Formats: sequence, structure tokens, C-alpha cells
Amino acid sequence: MTQQPEILHYAVSVVGKDRPGIVAGIAEVLFRLGCNLADTSCTMLAGEFAMILIVSHPRPFSKSRLLDELKPVCDGMGMSLAMRTLHADEITRQETDDEICIISVYGADQPGIVYRVTRELAGRGVNIMDLNTKLIGSDEEPVYVMMLEAALPDGETPEGLEKLLENLKKELNVEIGVRVVTPVSF
Amino acid sequence: MPNQPILRYPHPVLKKVCNPVETIDADIHLLVVDLLDTMRAGPGSVGVAAPQIGVVLRVCVVDVSKNRHGKDNNHGLLCMINPEITAHAGAAITREGCMSVPDYTGDVERATEITVKFIESDGSRREINASGFEAIAIQHEMDHLDGILFLDRIISIKTGLFRRKSYQ
Repeated sequence: MTQQPEILHYAVSVVGKDRPGIVAGIAEVLFRLGCNLADTSCTMLAGEFAMILIVSHPRPFSKSRLLDELKPVCDGMGMSLAMRTLHADEITRQETDDEICIISVYGADQPGIVYRVTRELAGRGVNIMDLNTKLIGSDEEPVYVMMLEAALPDGETPEGLEKLLENLKKELNVEIGVRVVTPVSF
Repeated sequence: MPNQPILRYPHPVLKKVCNPVETIDADIHLLVVDLLDTMRAGPGSVGVAAPQIGVVLRVCVVDVSKNRHGKDNNHGLLCMINPEITAHAGAAITREGCMSVPDYTGDVERATEITVKFIESDGSRREINASGFEAIAIQHEMDHLDGILFLDRIISIKTGLFRRKSYQ
């Protein structure tokens, strides 16, 4: 009895100097190979374009084949390429009944803002779903801005979270706000 | 005919501009009952529009009175035939989802206060001023009557603060 070969997914990341045509270049390779693009997130970070893609193929498709095809294109565009194999049981549908909050943190730039805030959140089982940080302001007065979107575990409230972060707010002298953005469904 | 299945995109009816109701007859009364039953059957549903159950007519129902966002500011159950927004003010961004587009949500800007006139199922004309969550729900349902999904109105894919970027 032959076993059906597993359909694998690949987590692909591509990063390099931003310019028009990067997405088209990568997408063309994948399209030509007959690959599917599931979830993707691509954004510009300080002039670098960073792509993270979940790629699959309707038929068994090797990682080395995908690498062989993407590598020359990435090299041609001067972009780094990394890839990880995801097994079927690692692909999960993101579903939650949790309260979703945006937590904003900003203030004079200093070491440890990301670490201190996220450590508090992790300690309470708060799951970060999205995180953006950016250094703004002037050279003399750099300001750090962090926006994160998080799912609160059962029993945790936005008010409780605000209270939890209150001490940190004083210690780091930064502003911290928690706002509920749980989607409303119609 | 109670509780109808909610059509999901890409069902073509969801992108159609619906026809105005000409006469309020037994069929319209049945449609309103179906819409109400469907809304009540959907967990936490605050509104259903006729095209969501496959009927291309300008009818929708809204009831935010049981929702935590709407319970303190609402007109109770609204059955709206040929609704029209005659005035609007304010703007607020809400993260919306829709039973016809499952598994996706996005930030949508809508008026925070609206005046809407419509015909009730007994044929009487009514005009109300709605605000807050109820106003948003009415606008979402009325969009369905024009074949507009919240996907057509998403205004932000990233935290707003980072959108205006300039590297000197």
C-alpha cells in the first residue's frame, strides 16, 4: 500500500532594498511553478522591502526545487532568501473569540522598550498578532513608536492590561494606551 | 420559510444593486420574516440585508439592542424597506466583519450620525436619527443593497501612524 505524499507548505521570506518590481518578480516565479500563495505579509522597513509568504503547491513539491527557482531571482534583485518547511499539521486556521486590542507605546527612545513591554504581555499570556515599531523624531530627540495588536486570554481585560503596564509607563517614562479593536461582525 | 442560509461572496447576488420595493405585499412580509429569523439565528448578528439571503430587493433588518456596543443607544428592531440616508455627519473607523465574507476583517470609515428614512413593513413612513454603533450597522446593511461589501471600503491595511512616511 503506497502512502499519499504529504502536501507541504513553505514559509518563505525575502528581504532587500526596496524598488518597484520586487513582488512581481517573486510572484512570477511562483506563478510559473504553479505554486499557491496563501497568507502573505509584505512591508517596507526603513527602505528595505520585507516579504513573508506562505507558499504551497497542489502536488508534492520539494523545498530544493523551490529554492533553486527563487534563488537566482532573489540574487538578481540583491535580496536575501530564507525558507522553512511547514507540515500540514502546522497550518492552522486563525480563529479566536478573544478580545483584540491595539496597544500603543511611545516616548523618548531608549533601550528595552520592546523587551520590557512584550515581557509583561507574555507573562500574562497575551498573544501578539501584529507588531510595528518605528523610530521617528529628530536626531536630537529620537522618539520610539510601537504599535502592537494582541489577543487577550480569557479573564484578561483591557483595563487590567492598562493597569499592568502602568508601572512600566512610569519607569520608562513612555505613553502606553490600550484600545479595543475587536471586530464587529454584521 | 424561516432562517435562510447566508450567501457568501463570490455569490453574484452580493454584488448586485437591489431593486426598490414597489408594493408591500404578502411576499415582502414573508421576506421580512425570513430576514428576522435569519438575523436571530446568526450568533450575535445585528442585521441582515435581503441580498444576503438571495433576494435582490432593498430591504434590510437591523437590531443592535442586544449587542454590547449598541444596547444603550438604539431604536430596537428596525425593518427597513427602501431605506435612504438623507443626512450624515461625523466619521469613525470600526473594524468590521461580515457573515457574507467570513474569516476576514478590516478597518472601515463610516458616518457616526445618520438620518435615515424608510418604509416599515406596515407601509408607514418613518425617519430616524441614528448614531454610534446603530448608525454603523445601518450603513453596513444598506451597503449590501447597493452591492457594496465592507471589502470595498477598507481604508487601512496598516497602523495609520506609519502610513505617512517620508525618508529625507
